[in-house]
Amino acid sequence: MKKAINILFLLCALLLLAFGTTLVSNKKVSFELVSNIKTFTAGNSIELEFHSKSEKEKPQLFIIHSYGKTLLDVTIEKGNYIFKIPENYCKKTGDVSWFLINKNETRNSGTFEILPNDATKTVVENYLGPRTILAGGKEFTMMVTVPTDGFDNPKQENTNVILKHQFLQNVTNLNLKTKDFIAWYDIYSPTKSGKMLVSTECDKIATKEIETEIYPNIATNFTIDYKRNHEFADGNQITHFTTSSIKDQYGNVVSDGTLVSFLIKTKNNLILKTFGATINGIASAQLLHPDHQETYSVKGFVTGIAESNSITINYKPIISTFNYSFSNKNRTLTVGPIKSFMNQLVPDGIKVIVKVFHKDNLVTTLQEDTSKGIATFELSEDFYKEKNYRFEITTLGITKQTETLNYELHK
Amino acid sequence: MVLISSFILLNVLLLFGLSSILEYLNSGADRTSMLHLEKETVNTYLPKVIWEELNNVGRVMEPNTLKTIEKDYLFSWYIKNKSLENNKKQGIEDYYTQNARVNLYNSIDYNLKNKITIESTTLKHNPKLEFYSEDGQQVVFTDKNVIEFQKVFKDKKLISEVQDTATYKVMMLLEDGFWRIRHIQKMKPEPIEKDTLKSNHEFKVVGKKIKYNNVDFISKGINYYPKNSAWDTFGDLFNKDTIAKDFDIIKKAKLNSIRIFIQYEDFGKADIKPEKLEKLKTLLDLAESKNLKVIITLFDFYSDYTLESWTLTSRHAEKIVTAFKNHKAILAWDIKNEPNLDFENRDKKNVLNWLQQMITVIKENDPNHLVTIGWSNSYEAINLEDKVDFVSYHFYNAIDDFETEYATLDKATKKPIVIQEFGVPSYRGIWNWTGTTKDGQAEYHKKMQELFKKNNLAFMSWTLYDFPSVPNQVAGKWPWQKNRQKKFGFIDEKGKEKPAFLYISN
Repeated sequence: MKKAINILFLLCALLLLAFGTTLVSNKKVSFELVSNIKTFTAGNSIELEFHSKSEKEKPQLFIIHSYGKTLLDVTIEKGNYIFKIPENYCKKTGDVSWFLINKNETRNSGTFEILPNDATKTVVENYLGPRTILAGGKEFTMMVTVPTDGFDNPKQENTNVILKHQFLQNVTNLNLKTKDFIAWYDIYSPTKSGKMLVSTECDKIATKEIETEIYPNIATNFTIDYKRNHEFADGNQITHFTTSSIKDQYGNVVSDGTLVSFLIKTKNNLILKTFGATINGIASAQLLHPDHQETYSVKGFVTGIAESNSITINYKPIISTFNYSFSNKNRTLTVGPIKSFMNQLVPDGIKVIVKVFHKDNLVTTLQEDTSKGIATFELSEDFYKEKNYRFEITTLGITKQTETLNYELHK
Repeated sequence: MVLISSFILLNVLLLFGLSSILEYLNSGADRTSMLHLEKETVNTYLPKVIWEELNNVGRVMEPNTLKTIEKDYLFSWYIKNKSLENNKKQGIEDYYTQNARVNLYNSIDYNLKNKITIESTTLKHNPKLEFYSEDGQQVVFTDKNVIEFQKVFKDKKLISEVQDTATYKVMMLLEDGFWRIRHIQKMKPEPIEKDTLKSNHEFKVVGKKIKYNNVDFISKGINYYPKNSAWDTFGDLFNKDTIAKDFDIIKKAKLNSIRIFIQYEDFGKADIKPEKLEKLKTLLDLAESKNLKVIITLFDFYSDYTLESWTLTSRHAEKIVTAFKNHKAILAWDIKNEPNLDFENRDKKNVLNWLQQMITVIKENDPNHLVTIGWSNSYEAINLEDKVDFVSYHFYNAIDDFETEYATLDKATKKPIVIQEFGVPSYRGIWNWTGTTKDGQAEYHKKMQELFKKNNLAFMSWTLYDFPSVPNQVAGKWPWQKNRQKKFGFIDEKGKEKPAFLYISN
């Protein structure tokens, strides 16, 4: 009887074992991470080791990394499942998500973090901009510095960076801390113009200098003056305008090439313009003398920014009167010789204007330039067919009227 | 004569050949290819992007620059996804700086060597601007809780599908007109904030019941197309008066709801056409005025479930449901009509993943209305049962099987059930000698209505009208397929009520 019970018991145990194993194999296999290390340093090899009750599985590990995704095959060591993270993934920092996949199903998942490797040589990337700013402390250039480890991974938050900037005698050192990959600083412009040099240092690795040009600020009001050979309105000489040395509000001479416009107002309220660009703060411009008595009022402008005082320039007439004569049966009108202020002949090219009237109607306006003080007008029979004409002659601001002249006509 | 003409022909051909060779040699690269012209993301990759905050410690962000940054950033994802899918390096240099692209190349080389390909897409980006430099050349932002979905293949065999959420910190540089990624670092996701969208439902599901303002709502409905625009409700023939008249007929027949269909392409794919929304609004407003509730079936005639198109379909659904999230006439969004028919050709897992993801998108944008899926039979209706608000299926089997089928499904789900389509065509003709007569159709509906009444079931019959024409996409191009499909109506082509009309409701 006892034997029978024993046999029955053994049989039961055997059955239990048989069905028990089938139960286990039907159940989904679970995998547990062996080591609990959650952070690694970039450049070191990384392995994830899993333990499972079942030793006949062929799991795979899917990883998502900052710079890619891949699927890893397993190696089995001492009954544990080991996944070796590829070298290129070990070098770059960030969170890595892993998913352990067995028989097309995710059986376990988690993350680990790779941290920058401070033992490698630090590399610092600097970005400075804008590279040109105006003096005066309102504008600034921004230094952005990105310190990385030897694998080009941004350093961890709160890494110390020393920022140095030099301007003239001043050298400034600043301690900054990184946040969101970068450390940055706004360097405001000094009141003097010149070059500013900036560099940074992180982990005793210093960068090259980068420069920002500090340009003078905008021009302030200035004065103008003029120079001329003589005061006569001979239509030939040139009047030179010059500005004082134009400076910004901090006393910096404005940048070369600052354009100054000289606006000239005549006594008839006509506007003339001449221009000059500054060199060493001084702009100069030129203007031809008028050919008649004139009073100019002149003012300089840096458009929209600064202006000068207004100056008045008088030009005296070079003649008070002139001669003219008709010849060739009144068909030739000779004006001149016109004499200038020293009784010399006027320069060539003085404009002489003749208006031709017939019975008070303007027929035409003729213009000639003087040569050796004389201008000659031919009044051809073919064009001037009327019996009589009257003339109005103007030169160098003087106007003379002739009598009405009679003309013979060919029949 | 023959000799001369063949000589001429030969010469003509020779000249033609020479000229085309010369032409080929003269044609160089297109001049525009020398320039980095704007590239468009439209209709390739449109994940949802919401910038959290633009205040930053640096320069004030200009809206135009932000758009360019967003575009180039999305391209960087698109290019990365594409290159992991094909293991090709094309385009990476346009969106990653010299130092950054090396890392991607390494990943691609590794995958290529190990025959791994990964299809992936991102669905949502929530970037927060951290820093924009004074000279406008560098930007740092944190893209919070990017949802990534990927399918992993080895030796072209699908290994698994994985969804992951992570935050990325990104530094981009402006280089020759492109914003390129200089550093990107994956980080732990942030705790997700509760959705601020306040829901305001009139329809609710309590246990096995759909409640309308806390009263039981049992759908007595009908599938609706206007008579002359079968499968084209919002087409050129759209007419307010026609629909108003039809709604009167439906209302008078003691029905309380209708089901309508929106075609993906017809509505403009990812860029919804405003005139289509206008038409839909007209229809919904009419339904509201007649007190009819509407189930709107989305994505009709659409069957691309690949990851590549997920962002596009999401934008499509999002734009439609957002526009009508407060509309009183809507009972539910039906994600897709009979998606199980695509199980075989488009991979069941793919289809289910897409549907599930689409439910999330719709719920996020319209928390007010219910969501269902119109399965073609009761057996498949159990799919995603836990994700929908109520279960819908279509019944075209023998009446005798109805009660058993219903009971089986009812047991398997905790959700309310709507028989979303059923019916029989009154079609007997040269193509079908044994078809049902008009009286037979009436008899069928009479029996069905008795069953619905007895068990208090929600139903939507197929369909109001016999249609003069049916598009090929619906049932097939052969007359015996098409003609049958034309005759499911309660009202014939001439507008006369068929005998079955008596049994349109209970």
